Amino acid sequence: MRRMTLALAVAVFVSLPALADWTPDIEAWNSAPPPQPEVVIVRGATVWTATDEGILENADLLIRDGRIAAIGEAIRAPANALEIDAAGMHVTPGIIDAHSHAAIIGGVNESSNISTADVRIRDVIDAESINIYRQLAGGVTTINLLHGSANAIGGQMAVIKMRWGASPEALVFEAARPGIKFALGENPKQSNWRNDTPRYPQTRQGVEQVIREMFQQAADYRAAHENHPRGRAGRDRVPPRPNHRLAAVAEVIHGERDVHSHAYRADEMLALMRMAEQFDFTIRTFQHVLEGYKIGPQLAAHGAGASVFIDWWAFKQEAIDAIAFNPALMHEAGVLTGLHSDNPELARRMNLEAAKAVRYGGVDPHTALKMITAFPADQLGVGDRTGRLARGLDADFVIWNGHPLSVYSRVEQTWVDGRRYFDRAADQRMRQALAAEHAELLALASAEASDEPDDNAANAAPDDESEAEPAPGQRRRVMSFATHLTGYRASELDHDQYCILHDH
Amino acid sequence: MTNIASSMITRTRSLLIVLVLLLAAPAAAEITALVGATVHPVSSAPIQNGIVLIEDGRIQAIGADIAVPDGALVIDLAGLHLYPGFVHPATQLGLTEISSVPGSVDTTEMGSINAALRAEVAVNHDSALLPVAIAGGVLNAHVMPGGGLIRGTSAVLRLNGWSWEEMIVQSPAAMHLAFPAGAADDKDNDDLALIDETLDKARHWHAAEAAAGLGQAPRPARNDQLQALGPLLAGEVPLMIHVNGISAIEAALDWAQAQQFERIILSANADVQYAAERLAAEDIPVILRGVYNMPTRRWEAYDMAYVAAARLHQAGVRFAIGDSGGGMDVANARNLPFHAGTAAAHGLAKDAALKSVTLWPAQILGVGDRLGSIEPGKQASLFAATGDPLEPMSQIVRVWIDGDEYDLGMERHRRLYERYRLHQQAGSP
Repeated sequence: MRRMTLALAVAVFVSLPALADWTPDIEAWNSAPPPQPEVVIVRGATVWTATDEGILENADLLIRDGRIAAIGEAIRAPANALEIDAAGMHVTPGIIDAHSHAAIIGGVNESSNISTADVRIRDVIDAESINIYRQLAGGVTTINLLHGSANAIGGQMAVIKMRWGASPEALVFEAARPGIKFALGENPKQSNWRNDTPRYPQTRQGVEQVIREMFQQAADYRAAHENHPRGRAGRDRVPPRPNHRLAAVAEVIHGERDVHSHAYRADEMLALMRMAEQFDFTIRTFQHVLEGYKIGPQLAAHGAGASVFIDWWAFKQEAIDAIAFNPALMHEAGVLTGLHSDNPELARRMNLEAAKAVRYGGVDPHTALKMITAFPADQLGVGDRTGRLARGLDADFVIWNGHPLSVYSRVEQTWVDGRRYFDRAADQRMRQALAAEHAELLALASAEASDEPDDNAANAAPDDESEAEPAPGQRRRVMSFATHLTGYRASELDHDQYCILHDH
Repeated sequence: MTNIASSMITRTRSLLIVLVLLLAAPAAAEITALVGATVHPVSSAPIQNGIVLIEDGRIQAIGADIAVPDGALVIDLAGLHLYPGFVHPATQLGLTEISSVPGSVDTTEMGSINAALRAEVAVNHDSALLPVAIAGGVLNAHVMPGGGLIRGTSAVLRLNGWSWEEMIVQSPAAMHLAFPAGAADDKDNDDLALIDETLDKARHWHAAEAAAGLGQAPRPARNDQLQALGPLLAGEVPLMIHVNGISAIEAALDWAQAQQFERIILSANADVQYAAERLAAEDIPVILRGVYNMPTRRWEAYDMAYVAAARLHQAGVRFAIGDSGGGMDVANARNLPFHAGTAAAHGLAKDAALKSVTLWPAQILGVGDRLGSIEPGKQASLFAATGDPLEPMSQIVRVWIDGDEYDLGMERHRRLYERYRLHQQAGSP
């Protein structure tokens, strides 16, 4: 029966359903990509461009082959265009989360060494993580999957688009600049968890020293490779031993791989910027940046961006001076400032994090929206592809049923590459399909259970009484099902457990 | 920023008015008149250009056409909106400072039976977390103990004061019990057996004590834990049951019914929506914890926790909205109204959302006659905001607690903000 249902589902998806019927599946592997209509026209919305064009009232958005073709009033569209009436609705760029661990298999930290620059998130992307679908339901279209902060150099990041149902390879946003996670402060110095075999370093001084030493080693490594004679001259010389760890750090100091560094305090951020300046490269962003407001001008002068929790504080000693006015102050200082989630649950409501930038420090709403769209896109090097609504950019956008920063608003649709990956109506269809399947499976299970006494009729007599009351028996079974099996996979809970254990 | 700056100017101006009035008519300044704002009493419809009179820390009168007594301190709030302070229904504010520094954390006692603990005695009235909550409009909170199965008693506190003692609004507010998750489908659960045994012993102990009082029996051996359960068993204090997951919630309700408690309050995650009909029928109030939680099960709808409040309301359950109560939520108790706002985005009526963080928690916690709305006779704990306070975009610009204006400039975050803003504007790195 189950196999039949599956076969039926496959048959339905193989025939690439029309957009109106497209229904996602809760399992990514069973969710065919939504079709990409040749032309889409979104009519009559309030369009937040996240560009200098500002907020356009009663505007149309024309999508052609997955890209934005035009934005403006009363745009003409061909007859075959899919028309979406968005009167009274607001349209924004898709949300970009520059700090996420929401879709990583097998733990976010390779904490075995103070530097694991050689490990790559792109090898362990969890394309099946339910977080991807849920974040689409919150308007998120691109996320940056980062290692944790257990070591000074955590590993190489992967930027993905939220193409629910695509393979790990197909999720990767190839246009993104290569990047690497660094970490400073309490986590790399292991302040907040029991450690029976402590390793160096245990202070901020030590973290700085370790990073400086690795930069120097990487410079030497690259020089050794470059100085190795080529062609005939090198024929009889032993080449330098390949070292993936140093090779990755060498990319960093030569500006080929961007540093996104976890940091809380002003002192540690200054120290990393000064080291980078000695090696003549720029720290692309600091992550969390809780005390960034204390050194806004220095961050701006160096050219470092800031990717921020807006109001998390007091969870660690180094978070005691965190203030929610931080993004407002850094933005005023000229720092490229974005807001991130660092948490798969929070990622579902980043619009409200942006709203807090209005509350704390009076950032205007359009700029606040840029802090979760255009600015993080720029930080990841994809600002010319997504994060804004402008001609030529990828059609990554969100339709809201009200002001996008209002607590009372809800995401109606989320589009990635001109495909509607989230739609409230399609989500309702999915719920109904799931409920029907659930009921069917329970019926099968209880049919099986009621068969059992017959198999051993002789010694099943004492149980017959309870089996004679199917209703309460069935209810008990449903309840214990609900208690023990929540259905989550380990990688979907990994991050929460990491947070609980390590206080971020 | 301009809003805050202008509010500071306004505040300075009002301070001048206070000084002038104090010099001119010291006796008459005992009445404060908040005028010009849109008043949102919560218990009734908003009043445009309303007047709120405050005397002796309490609200004396509210309306559009009431007379402002001569000599009253008049505070003009034109363009602003007045709301009663939020009442946080379930938090550990005051019991923890920096969650990763054990020396600053007093949330969770060891052991299973902690009935004799009183949460309020460990509340640090100078905690830096309290002014931050107040700046977010959370002016009163239900502060709970958090360790073991029977956890002790909680108190409703005003969030500013010179000691925990004078911050008490209601103590004890409730006895707390963590219903063991394992008891959901195991009637022989060891933890539940220990709870049953303790309650049984307590009943006998109090019977023996009563008999001793009448001279009919020897006095039982002193036992703080059993003694502390007396008010609960006598029905003088409600039992707040903390339980998550529908099967455990159902089991907890069955258990509480068998124990014949007079008043129980359920503190539960979004799964509580699945028990809505029963809770309504039995009139058991609920503290809904975790609007901002992931769905309990992977296959549940993405908005499962967002819609829980609407489901409870629709079924007629009395409820308040709390946060999940975890470490980060204590420091961010200020975000309480946004949980309610999100519930309103997903089906809960806006006025119900507002009540779920003001009047309803006050009523459920037994302080509905003092807190939760702007009504004559209630404590004058209220704030002025630039707009709807369930909207994160709105700013809270002035606060009064028991009639006294609270200096928002005292809050650590605003002090750091002002300090570094001025430094940044001065242009020297």
